[in-house]
Amino acid sequence: MKTKMDFPTINQRRPDGMKENGKPYRVLIVDDSMFVTKQIEQYLTSEGFDVAATAVNGQDGLDKYKELYPNVDLVTMDITMPVMDGVTALEKIIEFDKDAKIIMISALGKQDLVKKSLLLGAKNYIVKPLDRKRVLERVLMTLKK
Amino acid sequence: MRVEYINPFVEAAFNVLREVLNVEIKRGELYLKSVSQPVLGVTSIVGLAGDVEGRVLFDMAESTALAIASQMNGEKLASFDDLAKATITELANMITAQAITKLHDLGFQFDLTPPAIFTGDNMQVTDTEIEALIVPIEMKFGKIEINVAIREKN
Repeated sequence: MKTKMDFPTINQRRPDGMKENGKPYRVLIVDDSMFVTKQIEQYLTSEGFDVAATAVNGQDGLDKYKELYPNVDLVTMDITMPVMDGVTALEKIIEFDKDAKIIMISALGKQDLVKKSLLLGAKNYIVKPLDRKRVLERVLMTLKK
Repeated sequence: MRVEYINPFVEAAFNVLREVLNVEIKRGELYLKSVSQPVLGVTSIVGLAGDVEGRVLFDMAESTALAIASQMNGEKLASFDDLAKATITELANMITAQAITKLHDLGFQFDLTPPAIFTGDNMQVTDTEIEALIVPIEMKFGKIEINVAIREKN
């Protein structure tokens, strides 16, 4: 006799935030806004990603990246921040790890800023306001690049 | 003040508010103010500097700010706390940044300062030698007045 009911699994899909080995992708969020950090964190954790750390400016982001390395798969980087801006932090992280996967996330969509970030090694650029679907799509696209 | 500077702010405010709040938004009549005016309770300010200079204020009652912050966070915030402030600041930042991007594409070069937020009763704002244009926006959460004062640099 069965002691436990076997329910059929409705959703057998592996969450997008999980690697094939069952471990989550580890993400570092760099943003000076508590609101934006929380928003990105919610999107990512809802798909099984592990937010390994959050940082409040570019310098903090660079320091945390070095601390986490090599156990960090992706960085989301704001641009306008105090102490050190996101473009400078991008440049310094790429200097340290040329294979770093960094997505710029900014309310500014100026063409020259987007171009500059991509030339410096950013893998993607998202213009705010953020939308859950779009963020997750770009994150996956970047991880698979 | 040239209308080219204003339209991008009005458009950006509509786009961003619609996208992040998902509610119906109506625009009131634009009007000019050149004297002191009262502030509604919560005001976010973003400064502009470059080819033109000035500032944009996003002015609303605290109850409106709290309702907007709750909607943007997907949860009812009990008081106008740090998260609510960060949310309204980010709203002002997104609107201003989108307007700046549009103006930039039109050939104007300028940057914005990080937003600051003021809260309190009985506040007034006064601009010297610069006219402010007010764009009132109405929605179910209440009213936001977008107050733009920009002048060309001499």
